[in-house]
Formats: sequence, structure tokens, C-alpha cells
Amino acid sequence: MNRLLLMLAVAATAGPANPVSAQFVPSSKKAAHVRIFKGPELESATENLTIIRWISDNPGGSPEHFGVVHYGKDPKDLSQTAKSHIRLNPTHSYTEFRVRVDGLAPKTTYYYKVDSADAHGASDGVISPINAFTTP
Amino acid sequence: MKRRKLAALWAVLVTVVAALLVSSQTVPVSAQNHGHGNGVREVPPPPFYNPYPPGILPPDLPQEIERVRREVRFIENEALAQWQALTPPTLTGQPPILAHTGQRANVLLGKLMNFDENISPFKNRACGFCHMPYAGFSGSIPSVNLTMIAYPGSFQFRAGKRTAQRYTYSPNFPVLNFNAAQAAFFGGNFWDSRATGYLLGSPDANQAQGPPVDTQEHALPDTACIAFRLTTAAYRPLFETVWGAGSLDIKFPHNTEGICETPGGASVFGTNTMPIQLSPDDRAKANNVFDHWGESLDQYEASPDVSAFSSKFDAFLHNDYTLTPDEMAGYNLFRGKANCNSCHLDGRSTAPTPPPPEGTAPNSEDTGAAANARPLFTCFGSANLGLPLNPRDAIYYQDKPDFFGFTANPYGFGFRDLGLGTFLRSGPGSWPSPNDDWTPFAPTSDGQMQTSTARNAALVPPQCPTTEAPGPYFQKEFFHNGYIKSLKQLVHFYNTRDVYPFPVTSGNCPAGKTEKVDCWPMPEVPNNLDMTIGKLGLTDTEENQIVAFLQTLTDGFTRPYPDINTFTGMCMACNPATDPNCSPSRQGNGFLIPTPPLPPCASAICGVAPLPGPKPIP
Ligand code: HEC
Ligand code: HEC
Repeated sequence: MNRLLLMLAVAATAGPANPVSAQFVPSSKKAAHVRIFKGPELESATENLTIIRWISDNPGGSPEHFGVVHYGKDPKDLSQTAKSHIRLNPTHSYTEFRVRVDGLAPKTTYYYKVDSADAHGASDGVISPINAFTTP
Repeated sequence: MKRRKLAALWAVLVTVVAALLVSSQTVPVSAQNHGHGNGVREVPPPPFYNPYPPGILPPDLPQEIERVRREVRFIENEALAQWQALTPPTLTGQPPILAHTGQRANVLLGKLMNFDENISPFKNRACGFCHMPYAGFSGSIPSVNLTMIAYPGSFQFRAGKRTAQRYTYSPNFPVLNFNAAQAAFFGGNFWDSRATGYLLGSPDANQAQGPPVDTQEHALPDTACIAFRLTTAAYRPLFETVWGAGSLDIKFPHNTEGICETPGGASVFGTNTMPIQLSPDDRAKANNVFDHWGESLDQYEASPDVSAFSSKFDAFLHNDYTLTPDEMAGYNLFRGKANCNSCHLDGRSTAPTPPPPEGTAPNSEDTGAAANARPLFTCFGSANLGLPLNPRDAIYYQDKPDFFGFTANPYGFGFRDLGLGTFLRSGPGSWPSPNDDWTPFAPTSDGQMQTSTARNAALVPPQCPTTEAPGPYFQKEFFHNGYIKSLKQLVHFYNTRDVYPFPVTSGNCPAGKTEKVDCWPMPEVPNNLDMTIGKLGLTDTEENQIVAFLQTLTDGFTRPYPDINTFTGMCMACNPATDPNCSPSRQGNGFLIPTPPLPPCASAICGVAPLPGPKPIP
């Protein structure tokens, strides 16, 4: 069975290079249970750049994805948003999200929760509890 | 092996080109070059264009231009012989088909066009000049790759703004489309995808229509100059065999040669893009020739002469080659921990990689899903990797008019390369977008460049068997602005961009820090930065293993790569004992120059609606 499929695939792509046989852009499959299993945590914090990262199961959907950080100085008001491009890897069961948060004030405590979204901005619904970090 | 011996032999002959380059001498004025063979110009040659401060143009540039032109003419003659040896096809059937040898005839026509110097005002530039087989059809001059990064066009020394993109496998890119389900652009040709292919159905054929009339490349002032020059081409009969008898029978006015030998952009033309006055019928014929020009070139690039699928990796996929332990480790990192195949798709159907700490490499069990037997190592999409501005790029210095009154870049260092974003705004240095529905996506596309195939990044001439110092090596340039000079640096950039970020421009890393080793200057375009990469956690050994894997993607392993033996220049080499930059990590660092204080991004680029956002581009 597997071998048959493989042979079919080879037959379909064995001609001279041409745009049609070339390749397809796969969407990732959603993992059975999508949860954050590492982080979120501060990857780095300098005066210029703060990066927050976490790893979740592969949320699936459009390859183009966004890591999203909702943050603010008051845990009840996380009204600021930072988002960064992340490519889902269709052959990985997990996804590492990394988000740049800049324009922060020095020596200040910020509260944040993380989220992720597909290319249309729709949330994957995998949201962390509220955490905090303090800038140097 | 044979290759080894040859390399050793060449090592003896190697001259340290780098040593020559250090001298700050400028290029002699006698360097302007004009037509070869085909008659003498009636007018004296125009003074050549040199707005560059000392040290920007490499001193060996005139000799190197002549060297590549000799190689181009050699390949053109070879192609003429190949055509003469071909049994002519027979026009048969309904619809009519060039039976038996028609496909090869079209490929050879494309090859003859690719290496034809006459398709330029001064009869000195062919496509192949900037795209030589021994460099994977990318830039042919090591000293240019090390310094000005853009290649000089027919009117010397006008030059472009980006690296001469490798074009192996570019015919495989689909017509540029916005995939609504995935909310992203796929396809097109050029770093900014501006050759969409919307008319010819092929971005690659569309692409080939660009260089002949690009002011900084071949620089013809009118697309009909192509048909005009083809009427006197030695291979005109082949063109007529492939595209029809009479297809070049166009009545050109007497002043046509005078027009075609004046470079595009010249102020005498004003905004007129059709200075050759043709009857409507003849204009239609010339337009057809222009389309066929693109179509035949595309078929050459799509043929095994260029896109060969003959690498070690291809052999591995057919169980004809066993990857060495380092190559295999590199492959597993490429699709595992380093996550390269999230963009450079490897087409394999391995089971999903389990999450760390259990695993960082894919499970080698095949899932049974159909694997792509010819993976292209690209997703056809675009991303902003966050490369720093490269102050050596020739474009920044072309802010004064040349002899013909043309100024390539009036913004000087106010120029910013927004890639796909500028194309979607129909902005300067790109082409008009053929689809207004795309324009709103410009702000989310700023800084994005097309994901290159990873194939043939490591392809080099046999006598300089690597891209990496100490060599003997062939100096290449990587990424759209050539900031990266070796594959080791390329992988190290992906691995550590966010580990060693500094809020400085290139050439201005703090004391005690080494640029590209433990200091990465800030991105030229901070918007839409991709965060899939930047901190991969690879060790030094793992970086090297990925380089070893990239080298398995070089064509020419299962059968010889056509025309790879045509390099007649010199390899580079250095001595690690005396030269601190003699390593893959620091290769080229001796040529870093400090970026001057940058003026803000020119309003013609960053002030065009829809404005870059959410933050402005500095
Ligand atoms: C003066 C140097 C020069 C000449 C001559 C030249 N090119 Fe290029 N080529 C470049 C540069 C630079 C780029 C990238 C430009 C960009 O993205 O803006 C490029 C890009 C390309 C690409 C895009 C590859 C991809 O994957 O998208 C193809 C194909 C190509 N060139 C083919 C040609 C052909 C065919 C000709 C002759 C008709 C030609 N080039 C002439 C410098 C040159
Ligand atoms: C987020 C998508 C993405 C990921 C992940 C990615 N690349 Fe790329 N790659 C690109 C883009 C986009 C370019 C062209 C960028 C430019 O020139 O600005 C590129 C270019 C390249 C090139 C060709 C450079 C040239 O000048 O021809 C190589 C080789 C390469 N990448 C290797 C890798 C390796 C190795 C990895 C993993 C360590 C990797 N890439 C991860 C998107 C990606």
C-alpha cells in the first residue's frame, strides 16, 4: 500500500521540471490536544529587545502563524499586543513560538499572557495564564 | 579521487585575490568596454559612470568583466555547435508540433539567448554574465561577490541593488498568487516576486523579459530592440524554426540601431518606452518575439542543462547514495532542531518530530504519505529574515546622473529594500503590480523576500571545490543583499541572530565583538521579522553538519553538470596562521566598511500608502 502510493507519487513527479508537478504547500495537521508544555518564559531581555518564548503542540492550520503576547503594567489591563511571524512545520508535532516585545520602559514590571493565531488573525485558543517580567 | 588531484593542482596556481583587493586603487578609466566583432560604433564611447568612492568597486573589475565575457562567448559558441549538430525537427500534425527534436531545439534556442551578448546596447552583456553555470547560475565574479554585491550592466558601471539570484529551479515557481485560505503569497520570480507570470502563465518566462530592458542590466531602451538584434543573430534560423518562418520579418526604421545602442533611462527618451517607431503590425510581431524570448529562456532554465536534479541528495532519495554521518546529522537537524524545512520544504513524509526533550530530529519511520520525489527545498513563500543593511551594495552610491542623464537611486542611503512590500505598492526599483487587490497586504509584506531553493547554494567550479575559507574556495554571496559570505555564516545567522543582537549598523559593532560571529547588526527592515529563526540552539559542530548537508544539494553528482568547467578565473585562498579572517566564520570580514549615519527611509519608498506599520520603518 505504502509502496504503491510512493510509486504513484514518483510517477507524477518524474517528468521534466514543470510548475505543476513541483510541490504543494501543506497546511499543518492540528495535534490531538494542543497545549503549551514549555514556558512561556523570557528568552532575553535587554534595553532594546525582549523576547518571550514558549512551545505548544502544533496548532495546525495555515503555515503562516503568529505568536501573540498581550501585555501591560496592570495584570487587569493587558491591552498592548505584540505579534511575531512563525512558520508551522508540517512535519513537527510541536511549535516553538517566539515574540519580540519592544518599546518597553526600563526597570518596569509587565504582566502578560501568550496566545497564537493563524494567518487570518484567528486565535488558536491556546492561551497561557498571566505571567510577569521586569525589564533591566 | 580525480577531483582532489585537480584541486591540489589548482591550489598551487591560486593567487590570493584578496591581497590585490586591499589596495584602495580605483578602476582605470580605460575600462569601459564596447562591442565585440559586430562593427564599430560611429560615436566615441561615452565616459563611463563612476559615482563610487574609492574602494567600492573591486580593482580587478575590468579584467574580471573581460574574463567572464570570454567565458560567455565560449559557451555561446558551444551552443551554436550543439544546434548545428541537432537533427532539425519536423513540423507535423494538427495542432502543429515540432516532432522529434522540437523540445531540444527550443532549449538550445534558450541557451543561445542566455549567452548572447548582442542583446544589450554595447553588445557586452548576456544573461549568463550574471548567471554562470559554475556558480549555480548566480554571480560569476568572486571580487564582486565580496564587495559591491550587485553586477555591472551594459553601461558600465551602472549596477543593480541585489545579488544575482541563482536560477536553478526558478521555472518551478507557480504564478504569483495570494492563497486566501493560508493568507499568504506564493510564487513569482525575483527576490520580491515581481515577475508574477500573470500574462504568460510562467513567472520564469515573465522574469526573462525583465533584464533586457532593466536600466542597470542589459539596458535596452525598447523591448523591440530584442527582435531587432535577433534579426542579425547567427541563430536566427533556429528562432524561425521554433517560432515560425517570418516571425522576425519586421520593418525596422533606419534609426533603430542608434536607438538600441543608447541605454534605457537616457534622458533623450523622456518617458517614451517605445522609441522605435513601428507600424501596429510590426509592433505586434515584435511583442510576440518578446514573449518568445521569455518562453525559450524559461525552457532552457527548466531543462536538465540547468535544473538537473542530479545531486547527492537526489541519489540518496533513489537509494543510490548513502549520506555520510555528518551529512545525515545535518539533514536531521535541517528538518528537526534547526527547523529549516518549515520554509525549505524537503518533501519527505517522515513521522512528526516528537517535541523536545524526547526528540529534536524526525522519527525515521515513513508515515506512508506520498513523498515528493523531487523536493525543491522552498515553499514558494516569502519571509523577512532580518538581514542588516549592507553598506557595500553598489546601489547606495548611484545617486548622481550618469552621462545619459539617468540616476539609478536618487535616495542614496535613504534607499531601503522592502522587497515584496515595495512591489505590492508598485514602488521604486520594482515593477507595477498587476493586481490592486494585493495592495492592502503591503504592510504585512514589508521586508519579505522569496524563499530561495536551498539547492545549489553550494555549487562552485570544480577547481575551487568549496564556498568556504581557507580554500581554495570560490567566493559567493548569500541572501538578497549579499551580506553573508559563506554557508557557515549563513547557518550561524539563522542560529544566533537573536543571541547576539546589537542596536548598531554593519561595520559598527562594539569593540571586542566580531561582526557575524558574536555581533549581528540590527535588521534593515524591522517590520514583519520572522521569529521561526534567530535562536536555534545549534552547537558549532551542528552548524557545520548543516553546511555539510547543504553541500549534498549540489547538482552534478549523478551526472556531470553541463558547462561547469567554464570558469577560467582564480580561486581564493588564505592562510589561517597569518590572516585572522581566514575562516568560514569570518570570511570577508576584512571588507566590512562602516555604514554611514543613515538618513530616514525615503518617502518615495516608506511614505507610500498603505504605509508600513504598525511602526514606521526607520
Ligand atoms: C547585470 C546582471 C544580470 C543580468 C545581465 C541578468 N540578471 Fe538575472 N538576476 C540578476 C539579479 C540582480 C537578480 C535578482 C533581482 C531582483 O530580485 O530584484 C536576478 C534574478 C534572476 C532570476 C530570478 C530567479 C528566481 O528564482 O526568482 C532569473 C530567472 C534570472 N535572473 C534570469 C536572467 C535572464 C534570463 C537574464 C537575461 C535575459 C538575466 N537574468 C540577466 C542579475 C542579472
Ligand atoms: C522562515 C522561513 C525560513 C526558514 C525557517 C529558513 N529559511 Fe532559508 N531562506 C528563507 C528566505 C526568505 C530566504 C531568502 C532571504 C533573503 O535573501 O533575504 C532564504 C534563503 C536561504 C538560502 C539561499 C541563500 C542564497 O543566497 O541563495 C539557503 C542556503 C538557506 N536559506 C538555508 C536555510 C537553512 C540551512 C535554514 C535552517 C537553519 C533555513 N534556511 C531556514 C526562508 C527561511
